[in-house]
Amino acid sequence: MSATRLYICCGSGGVGKTTTSAAFALQLAMSGQRVAVLTIDPARRLADSLAVGPLGNEPQSVPLERLNPAPGGQLDAMMLDMKATFDDVVRRFAPDAESRDRILQNRYYRFVSTRLAGSHEYMAMERIFALYESGQYDAVVLDTPPTRHALEFLKAPERMSNLMDEGVMHWLSLPRDSFGFRALERGSEAVVSVLKRLIGGETIEEIAEFFHVFQGMWSGFRERSGLVRALLRGPNTRFLLVTTPAPAARAEAQEFVQLLRRDGLPFGGFFVNRVLPAPTTNQALSAELLPDRPAAIPQADWAEICAGVRQATVNQARLAGSEAPALAELRREAGDAPLWTLPEQDTDVHSLDALAAVSALLAPAVAQLSRR
Amino acid sequence: MSLLDKRIVLVTGKGGVGKTTVTAALGVAAAAAGRRTLIAEIGGARRIHALFGAPESTYKIAPLTKNLSSLSITADEAIEDYVLQQIRVRALFQLVFRNRVMGPFIDAVPGLHDLVQLGKVFDLSRQTKRGSLEWDLLLIDAPATGHGLTMLASPLSMMELTGRGPFYENARLVHDVFMDPARTALALVSLPEEMPVNETLDLFARLGPYQRQVQLIALNELHPEPFGALERWEQARGSFEASPAVAEALRLTDRAVARARRQRLARERLTGLGGAPLRELPFLFRRDLREADLLGLGRRLLGATT
Repeated sequence: MSATRLYICCGSGGVGKTTTSAAFALQLAMSGQRVAVLTIDPARRLADSLAVGPLGNEPQSVPLERLNPAPGGQLDAMMLDMKATFDDVVRRFAPDAESRDRILQNRYYRFVSTRLAGSHEYMAMERIFALYESGQYDAVVLDTPPTRHALEFLKAPERMSNLMDEGVMHWLSLPRDSFGFRALERGSEAVVSVLKRLIGGETIEEIAEFFHVFQGMWSGFRERSGLVRALLRGPNTRFLLVTTPAPAARAEAQEFVQLLRRDGLPFGGFFVNRVLPAPTTNQALSAELLPDRPAAIPQADWAEICAGVRQATVNQARLAGSEAPALAELRREAGDAPLWTLPEQDTDVHSLDALAAVSALLAPAVAQLSRR
Repeated sequence: MSLLDKRIVLVTGKGGVGKTTVTAALGVAAAAAGRRTLIAEIGGARRIHALFGAPESTYKIAPLTKNLSSLSITADEAIEDYVLQQIRVRALFQLVFRNRVMGPFIDAVPGLHDLVQLGKVFDLSRQTKRGSLEWDLLLIDAPATGHGLTMLASPLSMMELTGRGPFYENARLVHDVFMDPARTALALVSLPEEMPVNETLDLFARLGPYQRQVQLIALNELHPEPFGALERWEQARGSFEASPAVAEALRLTDRAVARARRQRLARERLTGLGGAPLRELPFLFRRDLREADLLGLGRRLLGATT
C-alpha cells in the first residue's frame, strides 16, 4: 500500500488558493520530500512562478536546483486536463476497442467530459488517485477548482457516482423497443414520456446510447470511485482550507469543518492568507523627523509626500484594525484545529524565488502536518 | 444608453472581487431612480438580504427596500418550476420526481442546471401584473468567472446538444434575450491588482459573441493614494534619516506607493475594454455596509462623479 500523503486545498475563489497550494507543495519539497502539485489554474501564472513551461496532464519537473540553497526534495507540477483525464478513464475501463471508440465518439460524451457539473471535481480526484497509486511521490497536493463555496468540492464525487449509479445505468440502457425504451419499473413509461416532452426524443436517445455503451465499463468505474472515497477518508489524507480575514470566511470556515466532521473527512487546518500586519504604532510620524526638502523636488509635491509618510502608520493601523474582528472570529471558530496566517504580499508571486519566500512562511505548517 | 434602461444586467468577475456588493449597489441606485428592480441570486447564494437586514432570501420574491426586491434561485427549484409549467399536471410531476432515477438524470444533462436558472430570470423579466411588466430591471448576482461564462453560454450549449425539439426552442428564447445588447448587459467586476485584471481581460476575450454586452467595468476597492507624485518617491526616500521610528513609516509608504502604482496600472489596462465605461469604487473601511453606502457606490457605478 502506498504511503503517499494527500493534501487537498479547498477554498472559495479569490483567496489565493493556487499560490498557497504551490507554496505549500514547494515547502514540502524543501523538507526533502518527493512532491506532486496538481492545479486547475488555467492562467499561466502558476507555471511562471514555478519556472516551468505550459502545464498539462503530464508532470513537469520544477527546477529546484535554481534555488539557493537547493533543497533535497523534488517537485512536479501539472494542470488538470479534463478531457484527457476522462479519455484515460474510458480507455482503462472499456472492455474492448469497439466500446471504447463508441464512447469516445459519442456526441453526448463530449458534453459529459467537459461540461457536466461535478465532472471537473471528479476528474481531479481521479487524477490524484492515479498519482497516489503510482507510488512515485511522498506527497500529492491538490489545488481544488474554485467554487463560490469550498464545500461544493466535497459533494462532487458523490454526485458523480449517484449519476452513474447502477439504477440509472440499468434503466437507461435497457434494450430498446419501438418506443425507445422498455418499461421495467412502474411509472417508467411516464418518466420517459415526460423527459421526451421536455428535452426532445432524439437527445434522450443519444444519452441512452451513451449509457448503454458505458454499462460495459461501469463496474470498473464504480469500484474505482469507491477506492477514491475510501482514500479521502483514510489516514494519509488531510483537507486544508485556504481563506482570508474577510467576514464571509467565518461562516464558511464553520460550515466547512462541520461538513468534514459529518462526512468523516480528516481536517488538517486553516491557512489564513493576506493578513495585514499591524504597525508598531498607530501615531503619525513626528514632523521633527522629516528631512529638509531636496532641491530637485517641487515644494507642492514635497508637502504631499511628507504628509503621506507621516500618515503611513496611521493608515496601516486602520487597515489592519478593519480586519481584526473577522480574524478573531476565525480563530475562535478554528478551536483545536491549527490555523496558520500568511501576511499580505507586496506583489503578486511571479518567480520561483518569490514563491520560495512565501513557502518559507509555511515551514511550521509543513512540520506540524508531517508529524501525524 | 444607461444601464438602467436594460431589462437584465448580469454581474460577474473573479471570486472575491465584490460581485455581490456591486449587484446590491446597482440595485439600490436603480430603485432610487424609480426602477422596480429585482435582484436574483444564483446557485442558492443568499447574501444580499443581510445587507438590508431583511429575512433570508428564498425562491419566493421578497422586498428589500422601496422598489427593490430579491430572490435566491436554486437549480432544483427552477427545474421543478419549469417542469410544472411545461406539463401542468402536478400528479405527473410527483410521479416523475419521486422516481429515484430522475434526480441523477437531471444532473446528467449538461448545462441544464445553469439553463433553468437563466430561464427563471427570463420568465421573471417577462412577468406582467395588471397588464404591464412587473419588473423594470433584473440584476443577476452571477457565479464567478468560469462558471459565469458557462452559465451565459448554457442556452447555446443546450441548443447544440439537442439540435431541435421543445427544449431547443425554449433555450433559443432565452439565448435571444441574453445575446441582445439592447436588453441584456454584462457588468464585469475586478480588483486593482495584477491577477484579477488578468482574469478580467481573459474573461473578456473568452466572452466572444457576448463581448458586445459588456457595458460596465467596475474596479472595486481602490485605496487612496499616499500622494500624487508617485514618480518622485525613490528620490524623496533617499533624503530621510534611517532611524528606527522613520524606518517603519518608510517601509509602509513603500507598500502604499507600490499599491498605488498597481492601481494605476490596473486602471490603465482596463480603460476602454469593450468600449465600456470603467467605474471606480473606493475601499470602504467598514465591512457592514448600509443602504446609504450602497446608494453611494451605486451612483458611482452609474456614472455620478461624486
